[in-house]
Amino acid sequence: MTSTVKLWLNTGSFALRSFCLVHVIHSHFYEFTETRGESMLPTLSATRDYVHASKKYRNGRDCQIGDCIVAVKPTDPYQRVCKRITGMPGDYILIDPSAKEGADLDTQAFDSFIQVPPGHVWLTGDNLSQSLDSRTYNSLPMGLIKGKIVAANDFNKPFWQDGALLGFRRIVNTYLDEV
Amino acid sequence: MRKLGGLRLSLKTTLVAVSWIPVAVTFNENVCYVAKIEGRSMRPTLNPSDNGHTDWVLLWKWGVKNPTNIRHNDVVLFKSPSNPEKVYCKRVKGVQHDTIRTRHPYPRGLVTIPRSHIWVEGDNAFHTTDSNDFGPISTGLVLGKAVAVVWPPSRWDTKLDQSVGRGDISVRGLEI
Repeated sequence: MTSTVKLWLNTGSFALRSFCLVHVIHSHFYEFTETRGESMLPTLSATRDYVHASKKYRNGRDCQIGDCIVAVKPTDPYQRVCKRITGMPGDYILIDPSAKEGADLDTQAFDSFIQVPPGHVWLTGDNLSQSLDSRTYNSLPMGLIKGKIVAANDFNKPFWQDGALLGFRRIVNTYLDEV
Repeated sequence: MRKLGGLRLSLKTTLVAVSWIPVAVTFNENVCYVAKIEGRSMRPTLNPSDNGHTDWVLLWKWGVKNPTNIRHNDVVLFKSPSNPEKVYCKRVKGVQHDTIRTRHPYPRGLVTIPRSHIWVEGDNAFHTTDSNDFGPISTGLVLGKAVAVVWPPSRWDTKLDQSVGRGDISVRGLEI
């Protein structure tokens, strides 16, 4: 009887320690997790795409314009979003002209801007027409940034194709690399 | 031979102790934690005088990001929206969907709090940077709820849940 109890206690303690170790690694160093949704097409596919996130960049540390990041959704703290930074603190952002109904294209549609406040970033999805982002919930405080996406695996791809394991590719900063 | 056994025993003890560190870290980050309060924005509730000592509070972290767990007059610690490395301590004055009468310098007189956001103000209205400066904040920034003062012992009987600060700031639907 006592040996059974002891076995259960040992197993439980081992499980607890392993779980907490994985949790600490996930929240502070590195996470490999699934993403869903159309908002980052064509960078990330809508289903069965897994991303490698580096937690070194949490709280927006060393983040630059063009980085792909994972953040907590401001309107629902239990959901996470994956977007690209398209504005840094102090930048002026044109309010989405396509969202202004009845605006005259020559005069009104391109006349209003907002400035990103200190400690905030402007986020947009790569697929602008299917993305819920800063155009809806305004600029996002850097405190909600959980990490930067450095690479991705596509599980729709075969195990080995063109020298890449499961569709592995790096996620690059499209802004800095194009300039 | 006995010396070697002792070495192995101490090595094993060290390894077992190290393996519990992640458990402690996870507990501190997700369940509860003791935090130091700095500054005078929460006077007279916290840090009541300038006599050198600062208050340490017990911070409850489990489930505080859930907007339905945050109530009026809770004292919360959250990451500053304007600088993610700074932590502010304020009192919750409005929860999601409330309509709030703001103060200077907020640009509008009335504001309705969006979903999963809260309105926070310091108890010391003259020395505080709060929602009247940066607007409603997302509950995702909340780090924890201060439930009791743990240090110094002379302040153990402090009540944190009383309504201090502006009292008449919530607006009923009919008055708008």
